[in-house]
Amino acid sequence: MLAAREILADQRQNMESRQAMLSAIRRQLAASAPLDVVRSQHQAHFTGTSHTDRVAAIEQPPTISLVEHFRVSLEAVSGHCVAVRDEVEAATAVLQIIGQRERIAVSNSPLVQRVMRSVEHHAELIEAATPLALFDCDAGITGAQWAIAETGTLALESEEERHRLISLVPPMHIAIIEAGRIRQTMGEVLRLISENGGDALSRTVTFITGPSRTSDIELTLAIGVHGPAELHVIVIVGENS
Amino acid sequence: MRVSLFITCLIDQLWPSIGTSAVEVLRRAGCEVVFDERQTCCGQPAFNTGYRREARGFAQRFIEIFEEAKPDVIVSPSGSCTAMVHHFHQLFPDDETWRRRAEALAAQTYELSALLVNVLGVEDVGASFSGRVAWHDACHGLRDLGVHSEPRRLIRKVRGVEFVELHNADSCCGFGGTFSVKYPEISVAILDDKIDAIQKAGVRAIVSGDASCLMQIEGRLTRTHSAVRVMHLAELLASHEPIPQTYQGA
Amino acid sequence: MDHLTPETFKQNARDALNDPQLRSALRNLTKTFGDRRQAVLASVDNWEDLRERARSIKDETLAHLDKYLEAFADNAERAGARIHWAHDAAEACRIVIRLLQECSATNIVKSKSMATEEIHLNAALEEIGLAPVETDLGEWIIQLAHETPSHIVVPAIHKSKKQIAELFGEKLGIEPSDDVAVLTGAARRVLRQRFAESHAGISGVNFGVAETGTILILENEGNIRLTTSLPRVHIALMGIEKIVPRFADLDVFLKLLPRSGTGQQLTAYQSLITGVKRSPGDEGPDEVHIILMDNGRSRMLAHPVTRQSLACIRCGACLNACPVYQQIGGHAYGSVYPGPIGAVITPQLMGLSRAEQLPYASSLCGACREVCPVKIDIPELLLHLRAEVVEGTASATAAPDGPMKRKPSERLAFRFYAFVWSNPRRYERGLKIARLLQRFGVRKGRIDNARGFISRLVPPLGAWTAGRDARPLAPRSFREQWRDNPGGRP
Repeated sequence: MLAAREILADQRQNMESRQAMLSAIRRQLAASAPLDVVRSQHQAHFTGTSHTDRVAAIEQPPTISLVEHFRVSLEAVSGHCVAVRDEVEAATAVLQIIGQRERIAVSNSPLVQRVMRSVEHHAELIEAATPLALFDCDAGITGAQWAIAETGTLALESEEERHRLISLVPPMHIAIIEAGRIRQTMGEVLRLISENGGDALSRTVTFITGPSRTSDIELTLAIGVHGPAELHVIVIVGENS
Repeated sequence: MRVSLFITCLIDQLWPSIGTSAVEVLRRAGCEVVFDERQTCCGQPAFNTGYRREARGFAQRFIEIFEEAKPDVIVSPSGSCTAMVHHFHQLFPDDETWRRRAEALAAQTYELSALLVNVLGVEDVGASFSGRVAWHDACHGLRDLGVHSEPRRLIRKVRGVEFVELHNADSCCGFGGTFSVKYPEISVAILDDKIDAIQKAGVRAIVSGDASCLMQIEGRLTRTHSAVRVMHLAELLASHEPIPQTYQGA
Repeated sequence: MDHLTPETFKQNARDALNDPQLRSALRNLTKTFGDRRQAVLASVDNWEDLRERARSIKDETLAHLDKYLEAFADNAERAGARIHWAHDAAEACRIVIRLLQECSATNIVKSKSMATEEIHLNAALEEIGLAPVETDLGEWIIQLAHETPSHIVVPAIHKSKKQIAELFGEKLGIEPSDDVAVLTGAARRVLRQRFAESHAGISGVNFGVAETGTILILENEGNIRLTTSLPRVHIALMGIEKIVPRFADLDVFLKLLPRSGTGQQLTAYQSLITGVKRSPGDEGPDEVHIILMDNGRSRMLAHPVTRQSLACIRCGACLNACPVYQQIGGHAYGSVYPGPIGAVITPQLMGLSRAEQLPYASSLCGACREVCPVKIDIPELLLHLRAEVVEGTASATAAPDGPMKRKPSERLAFRFYAFVWSNPRRYERGLKIARLLQRFGVRKGRIDNARGFISRLVPPLGAWTAGRDARPLAPRSFREQWRDNPGGRP
């Protein structure tokens, strides 16, 4: 532990470095200013041509639903997705997915709690698991605050639910979401999570798109490195779908 | 249309048949070709190696000579030299007058196939050549000037030609100016990927719009005793008959 | 790998060309990444617009970098992060060491960060017995092998499966296996133990958002999430150029970076971390430290051409597209940043006189510029640096380090060329003489008359004929033929 004296010295040094670095930036930008003018003059007069990527965009199927789009996107990255009508069906789906697995961590999401209470199961459910306990769990079940159809992504806001480690440490992650939380694009979800300003933003937002993976060895795909090797998303679409 | 020919020193001294072919093709396309004998070089080797003062001298001479005749356009059978003209303005960061003159001149300076297809609207120049050919996209022409479809359209109109697309048509041949002698092993390693594709394509000739690329490719083809010949686009477009057997490869 | 430096580039390149396993790995890299990128571009219909927008966001940021950096720092601090300012590599290492000592960390996990490689952080920490374990699979492999990364995105791409299996066998006592899943499983088991016991986690940063003080880190493996959530202390090292102004700007970069880097629409995970947790009972570290590092970056702001170097988002696309990189791989460049972007930032970060071979190690083909998601004109940068090499002065952009090597014969050759070529009569006369001397300038008088080509030239042009024949000067130049027939009339 450092003495108060040392801490103050560090803080002073830090302020000095801050000032020095900001001054350096300003000085260098000032040096560039006359050259910037010349460059923008040229660009205004003369736009070069260049060989650009000639790719045709994939035609999006016109009437695909958000849920279906989400499912297709997630499965394209080795995730699994099933659409169910209600919480009871969701519970059945959960049981099918966890099979014989015994130690299942669950988050404090009210939806997850309700789903897991609505059916008989043999597994041991662990609530408020400590980080170390999670290393011994076979699966983790959480909700998600948003989902993105075009990429098959889940968005987890750390202040809406305690799911940061449950969705990461056990080798299987099951996420239960309501269809109404699915949006088409990342842009929309970025807007939604930040719309009440920086102070309201959850301190950690995690986007999850499929199971963990790597291509570091000879560019050969291997699924399941440090994060979960299996990702299952259960979408509750409701009676009217 | 009155076109002023920018021959390039490389073609002038090492590959004059490209020049005479280019003149022939331009005339067939209805142009009056003038050639200002005061021209020497655009200064690209100096610019590319970092000798900007020398390059500036070349640029100023070039601008003065080519401005004077007030041609409709300036045309060059070289993508890289045409691109150099388009980069002249970078040599005058402190001189707005020269910069404007450079920009104005660049706006009038075209690579041969771009002039034919985009300005003159000509794709068929009455050429005939029998055999399979492939096209190599020279980097400056492709990426600095956007020349891609124009040579292909011209080649497809040559009677008797069977055009095939190399899988790596737009990959660099490895020339890169002084790079080819500063880093010869890397230059040849890059080249061999191109040669490999050319051999696999089973062509009689490989065609390109830049004499520097052609020199690079030809140098390796002859060293490896290949029967494939190299042709500049102008030579192909100027030809009237099947490939003459001037090449005694293995 | 101490012998690999930018100064020894030419020899490094030669060694690489003679390494068949490396060349095969590079061929695989080029083809695979090239195909994946092409395929994934089809999933956006406005790729060019995205590049344009990304570049203009970067330009806007860099033009006011001080303002955005301050806003980032203030907002991150307001959310409870501690911001540290590091002028150079030494200061950054000192700060990391002090932070680790403050929290008495001994078990340190680390995720992939080119910035930490740049400052040789691991070596500094090893010296005082605080070596962190790399948790990204590729980085862990090269850490075990005591090597440096050869690619920005896939650091161990130069190693074959077999070499990795042997390495694991030797270092971890694992049965060598041909199965990538088995090798990966071994890495997971070993590193999981380290995660569980870690005290501090060190990461890089892909983007820092000025508006909110958020840092964004992308990955596929999950090791970054573990590194930044499990330990009590998180230390993030960020180059000052990583700033973007607004939270919404992230959308553009999230579309460009995964596609350009690995041919994915999105990587498996993105972590957006703003400050530190709000209450002690929440998940996540108790302390989040962000080190803002300059280390030569601010110098690049001083010229519009060099400033674009700072737009780089470290996707690696230029490496995959580069015909030179494809032949020689990353180690030849002798520095943390290889390939086209490395050829321009290494001289600027390390000093041009130390790395003056690098700007010339390019054919200027422009493939890099074409694939760069932020439209950096690397050929323009290379030419700019070449001019600086020739001018031989330490300009605002080159690190003040030492004089450039003098190349008197090259300088003389270009002066001579400029002199002779500046007058058409001198030019013609000169080339007529050259034509005459051609026979004698050719070693042992070798013009192969049967084929008409020259097979050996004297140096420096002899470098050409080592692998290629040369065309002789034509007996009659174009202009001589024109004079006989002006206008080209038949």
